Amino acid sequence: MEPILRTENLTHVYSPGTPFELTAVRNASIDIYKGEILGVIGHTGSGKSTLIQHLNALVKPTSGRVLLDGRDIFESKKSIREARSRVGLVFQYPEYQLFEETVRKDISFGPRNMKLSEEEIERRVLEAAHFAGVEEELLDRSPFELSGGQKRRVAIAGVIAMMPEVLVLDEPMAGLDPEGCRSIMENILSYHDSTGAAIVIVTHSMEEAARHADRMVVLDHGSVAMDASPEEVFSRGPELRAMGLATPVMTDVAEKLRKLGVRLPGTVYTVEQMTAALMALERGRSRA
Amino acid sequence: MLKDITLGQYFPGSTVVHRLDPRTKILLVVIYIAALFTANSAAGYLIAFFCLAGAIALSKIRLSVMLKGLKPLIFIILLTSILNLLYGTGEVLAEFWIFRITDGGVRNAVFMALRIIMLVMGTFMLTYTTSPIMLTYGLELLMSPLKKLKVPVHELAMMMSMALRLIPTLIEETDKIMSAQKARGAEFDTGNLIEKARAMLPILVPLFLSAFRRADELATAMEARCYHGGDGRTRLNVLRLAARDYTALTLGVLVLAGIIVLKRFGI
Repeated sequence: MEPILRTENLTHVYSPGTPFELTAVRNASIDIYKGEILGVIGHTGSGKSTLIQHLNALVKPTSGRVLLDGRDIFESKKSIREARSRVGLVFQYPEYQLFEETVRKDISFGPRNMKLSEEEIERRVLEAAHFAGVEEELLDRSPFELSGGQKRRVAIAGVIAMMPEVLVLDEPMAGLDPEGCRSIMENILSYHDSTGAAIVIVTHSMEEAARHADRMVVLDHGSVAMDASPEEVFSRGPELRAMGLATPVMTDVAEKLRKLGVRLPGTVYTVEQMTAALMALERGRSRA
Repeated sequence: MLKDITLGQYFPGSTVVHRLDPRTKILLVVIYIAALFTANSAAGYLIAFFCLAGAIALSKIRLSVMLKGLKPLIFIILLTSILNLLYGTGEVLAEFWIFRITDGGVRNAVFMALRIIMLVMGTFMLTYTTSPIMLTYGLELLMSPLKKLKVPVHELAMMMSMALRLIPTLIEETDKIMSAQKARGAEFDTGNLIEKARAMLPILVPLFLSAFRRADELATAMEARCYHGGDGRTRLNVLRLAARDYTALTLGVLVLAGIIVLKRFGI
């Protein structure tokens, strides 16, 4: 299958030729396929944020290419524009980018820049608000009188309203309470399920990545250290810890149980899998 | 785009120029500026040029970085040069329509351009080699005699250091907000003047909000650590003038004196 979005040997160097020179991304080649959920993990300063800003042509690579449907997104002004509307990017703490008088106007900023008709804009605002979990009665309020979590949702709705085929979110759950995290994740998944869009979630939380990602890319000092299924990534616990990343709690528990001689079947990295594994073990024992 | 702004940027290092006392550097810049405005002959400019070149060489700051800082000023430099070129007096070199270019005009234009370029580069030397904290500490010490006149020197210095401290933060913030709005399809470089001005709104509103939020948080954080102005406040690292500072200052005064003498004798 052809990837919808691909980076080819992407390298990005900040302030080349000054004492502040810094290679943020080094030779990264990543494929993103239609309909998948890709988790991008790496500790602070591993180049995650720089990498994703290339995906919709916000940042030009120092070398390498970004291909959308096989075509270089930096080819022309038109292709850059196209990339911006087809690849939606939600920044970290997106609530700080709200600026309009009403929530409705703020969400419609993206579609309006795409020069859509008024009816289409209105339709998309409602749809995006629904996907992001923004209640309709909030639409005519000022975004500045909302709570932090609601602001976050409005900002996410502002990107979803462009109906991107690839939705990239940089730490979408940062600074939210557990309930807020869970429900925002649910909203993102509902957009994924009903549109078939590819979702790229940048996070340093292994738990989140473990629960939802189909595939994971691990960044270390700007390079792609791993690109594999969650099972495989989490089976390489010591390597992850060497990169300053924590493995999911359940992986640790499973590792310790196995050391104690408990024969847990299969790979275990979420609570659900742990429950299933323990149940299977219990069933096996009662049968014997 | 915004990251190219080098105004007030500090390039860490440990050269002699970096280690000079900030007070020395501030005074040297003042002396240097005075020298530039006194000089009116090729010899005078040459001396000032050698001082600047020497300082740049000693500081090990790359020439490309210095020149990059000049970029935003090209327009001003060109404009002043052209105006000087057209309004000079003396022997006419060329004439067209209502314009007349004279040898005096050419001379003024060249000197004016040189003066601006060297002036700016000289002040760059100060900010490139002195950390903002040292810079404001130096200013505070230099201005401390004004305390007798009830000038709130400490408060002014504190305000300045906070403003300097916030410049890079705000630039970074602007960059972030611009990226976020661009990701939503905003364009800042198309359309006529009114459209361009309107396109700034999605940047300015969040930027102002964040500036106020930051200021508020900073004030709270300072109060939480019992900040109550400059009374009775002491420093961890107290500045002391070293031998190199006296040498540098003496050299500076000598150069200025030399240029004044040159001017006096019309060389």
